[in-house]
Amino acid sequence: MTTYRWALPDLGEGMHEAEIVRWLVQEGDVVAPDQPLLEVQTDKALTEIPSPVAGRVLHLYGVPGQVVPVGTVLIEIDTAMTNSPSAIPRPLAAPAVRRRARELGVDLADVRGTGRGGRITMRDVEEAARQAATGQTAIGQAATGQTVGMSVAPSAAVEAGMGTVRQGQPPGAKAVAGSMSSEADVERVPLAGLRRVIAGRMVASKFTAPHVTGMDEADVTELVALREKLDPWAREQGIKLTYLPFVIRAVVSGLRRFPYLNASMDAEHGEILLKKRYHIGIAVDTPDGLMVPVIRDADQKSLLDLAQEVQRLSEAARSRTIALEDVQGSTFTISNVGSFGGTFATPIINPPEVAILAMGRIARRPMFGPNDEVVPRWLMALSLTFDHRVLDGGYTARFMRHVVERLEHPERLMLEL
Amino acid sequence: MEIYRWPGEPTLHQILREDGTLAREEPPGVQDQAQAWYRFMVFCRRFDQKALNLQRQGRLGTYAPFSGQEAAQIGSFAALRRDDWVFPSYRELAGMMYHGLDPAHALLFSRGHPAAGYMPKELAMFPGQIIIGAQLLHATGAAWACKLRGEDRVAAAFFGDGATSQGDFHEALNFASVFQLPVVFFCQNNQYAISVPVTRQMATPTVAQKAIAYQIEGIRVDGNDIFAVYDAMRYAVEHARSGGGPVLIEAVTYRLGPHTTSDDPTRYRDPEVHDAWARAKDPLLRLRRWLERQGLWDEDQERAWTAEVDTRLAEATERMEQTPMPDPASVFDHVYAQMPPALRRQKQELTDLRGRV
Repeated sequence: MTTYRWALPDLGEGMHEAEIVRWLVQEGDVVAPDQPLLEVQTDKALTEIPSPVAGRVLHLYGVPGQVVPVGTVLIEIDTAMTNSPSAIPRPLAAPAVRRRARELGVDLADVRGTGRGGRITMRDVEEAARQAATGQTAIGQAATGQTVGMSVAPSAAVEAGMGTVRQGQPPGAKAVAGSMSSEADVERVPLAGLRRVIAGRMVASKFTAPHVTGMDEADVTELVALREKLDPWAREQGIKLTYLPFVIRAVVSGLRRFPYLNASMDAEHGEILLKKRYHIGIAVDTPDGLMVPVIRDADQKSLLDLAQEVQRLSEAARSRTIALEDVQGSTFTISNVGSFGGTFATPIINPPEVAILAMGRIARRPMFGPNDEVVPRWLMALSLTFDHRVLDGGYTARFMRHVVERLEHPERLMLEL
Repeated sequence: MEIYRWPGEPTLHQILREDGTLAREEPPGVQDQAQAWYRFMVFCRRFDQKALNLQRQGRLGTYAPFSGQEAAQIGSFAALRRDDWVFPSYRELAGMMYHGLDPAHALLFSRGHPAAGYMPKELAMFPGQIIIGAQLLHATGAAWACKLRGEDRVAAAFFGDGATSQGDFHEALNFASVFQLPVVFFCQNNQYAISVPVTRQMATPTVAQKAIAYQIEGIRVDGNDIFAVYDAMRYAVEHARSGGGPVLIEAVTYRLGPHTTSDDPTRYRDPEVHDAWARAKDPLLRLRRWLERQGLWDEDQERAWTAEVDTRLAEATERMEQTPMPDPASVFDHVYAQMPPALRRQKQELTDLRGRV
C-alpha cells in the first residue's frame, strides 16, 4: 500500500490556518485526480481542495468547524491501486533540526512536521525521539503543539483530542453510541463557522458576567403617530423608517446620562472602562445565525442616517458580504425581538459590553385614561440585561426610565439633537 | 476660448457577435486559423483550471488566473511575428503559451522557480512582469532600439486597466509618441484591478481615448471577440512596423476568476454582471458557435480534444514537478554578468555552511 498524505498548504500569501467547512468525500471512497475533497475557509476565501492523486481515501482527519494550522495532514489516500505520478515529498527540516535528528537516531521520514508548510521542527524531532523511547510511533498531528501519540489502539487517539478524530465521530462518541439511542434517530450537525463563534461568545458572557434583567413598558402611542407622519418623507428617499432608529436615539441619550452602561470591564486590572463613543450593535438574524453589525458614532447620526445604516448593515449581514470592521467595536447592543413577535426577553450581554436592550413588539392595549376611562394605547416591551459586576438595579432602572420617557415623548429627543 | 471635451460615445470594434454570427466580414486569414485558435483557447481554459487546482493542492504558489481573457490574449499574440519583442504581464500565460512558451515552463512561474525567468532563446519575449506597468517602458525602450538599428521589428506591451493609472503608462505613451516608435500598447481592460472596479480606476469612459492626448492612434475592441482582437492588433502592428508610430489598443474583456489564488472576488463583484460575462459573453462559446455554423467543430471533436488536452496537461504537470529545485547558492549567479569578489565569497560561504550540515 502506498499512502499519500495531504497536508494543508499555505493557500493564501502567508496564511497559517484554515477552518474545515465540509468534507466532500468519505473514507473508503475512490477519488480521481482533481476531484473535490473538501472545502476550507481561510481568512480570505472559501476554497475547494481538489485531490492531487487518484486512489482510495483511507482516513479523513479533522471535523467540520475545526481550525487547523498549515501543515496539518488532513487526508490519507491509498494510491497503490493506481499509478499516480505524485510521490511523497522529501521531509522539510532546517539543517540544525536534521543534525539533531541524526544525533537522536530519528528518521525524518517518520516524523510529522508541525512547522510552517509541514516543516519539521526541533520539537517534533525531540518528541519523536521521546515516543520512540516509550515504544510509540508518532503519526498524529501536533499542530497545536501537543503531539498526539497514537499507539495501536485507535480509541487512544479519539480520547486524545480532535487531531485524529474520524469524520462524524466527535471525541467520546464511541462510548455513548448504542447506550442511549440509535444513531439513526439523531442527526449530528457539526458546530461550525458562525454557530461555533456564537456558542463560544455566549458561554463566555453568561458564565463571566452575572446577568440581571429588568423589564419595563413604554407607551409609544405618540411615537407611532410620529413615525407614520415621517415615513412618507423617508420613503421618498428610498429609506424604510422603522422604530429602531428612534430606540437608538433614546438609548444614546440614556447612555450619555448614564455612562456606566456604555462601558466594559477590565477584570484583569480591576477597572471599568467608560467608552466616550457610542457604537451601537444591532442584533440581526441571518440564515447562518445571529450577527451584530455596528452603527458607529450613532450619536452623530440623524434618524434618517440611522435608518439607512440599519438597512445597509442588515442586508450586508444577511448576505454575508459584511466587512469585518462593520461587526467590531460595539459599545452597547440593541436586539429587536419584537420583529419576530416577541415581547419581553432575557437577552445575553454581547461581550465585552455590560448591557443589552431587547425591544419587544408594539402591541395595542386597553389602558386607563385621566378619568379612568379605558383608552387604546400602543405599548412597547423593553428588557434590559446588565452586568451586575459593573451596574446595579437602581442605576439601570433610572436609565430605563430615561429611555422610556424619550420613547413616550419623542419630541424630547428633538431637544437633544 | 475653446474648451476641449471628449466628444462622443465610446465605440467598440466587433466582428463576431455573441451568438456566433458575423457583424461584418472577417479579416483575411481568420478562416484558416479559427479552429486552431479555438483548440488553443480550450487548452488554455483547462490549463488555468489545472493551475488553480495545483495551487489548492499545495503544488504551486500564488497563481494569477486569466480565464475569460483567452480571446484578447491569443488574438493579439497571433498578430505578432516570432521575432517581435514581447513584454507581457503576469496574467499573460495564454498569450505566452500561444507564442511558444512550454506549458511546464509556464507553471514554473508559480513555483517561484528561477528557471521560469529564462525565456526560450528563439523568442524575443520577456518573463511576465510583476511590477504593474513597468513593461510599457521596457517595450518603449526596445522599440526605440529597433528604430535606431533600422530593424523592422515591433515591440508589444501587455497590461491591464490598473496599469493605466501608473506613471509608467503615461511616460511610455508620451515617449513613444514623441519618438514615433514602433510599439503597440495592448491593454486588457478586465474591469477590475484586484478589487478596484474600472469606474474607480479612471473617470474616462475608455482607456482607448487616452491615445488622443498623446497624438497616437487608439482602438477600442471587444476583447472577447478573437476576430476583432486579431483585426485590431494586425492593424496596429502593421501601422507600427511601417513607421506610423505607436498604437494604444483597449480590449474590453472580463476576468472570470479571482485576481490571484489569494483573492475572493465574490466580495466585490456583482453576481448578475458576472453571470452575464460568464455565460453570454464567454469568448470560447462565441468562437465555438461560429465554428459549428461553419461545420468546423462538433461535440465529438470537443470531447476528443478536451481528453487530449488533459493528457497534455498531466504530462506538463509531471515535467514541472520533476524540474529539480535550484541550488540556493544560485541566488548569487544572476546579479552581475561577472560575479564580483564579494559575491563570490558570500556564495562560497553559503556552500560551505550547507556542506557542514
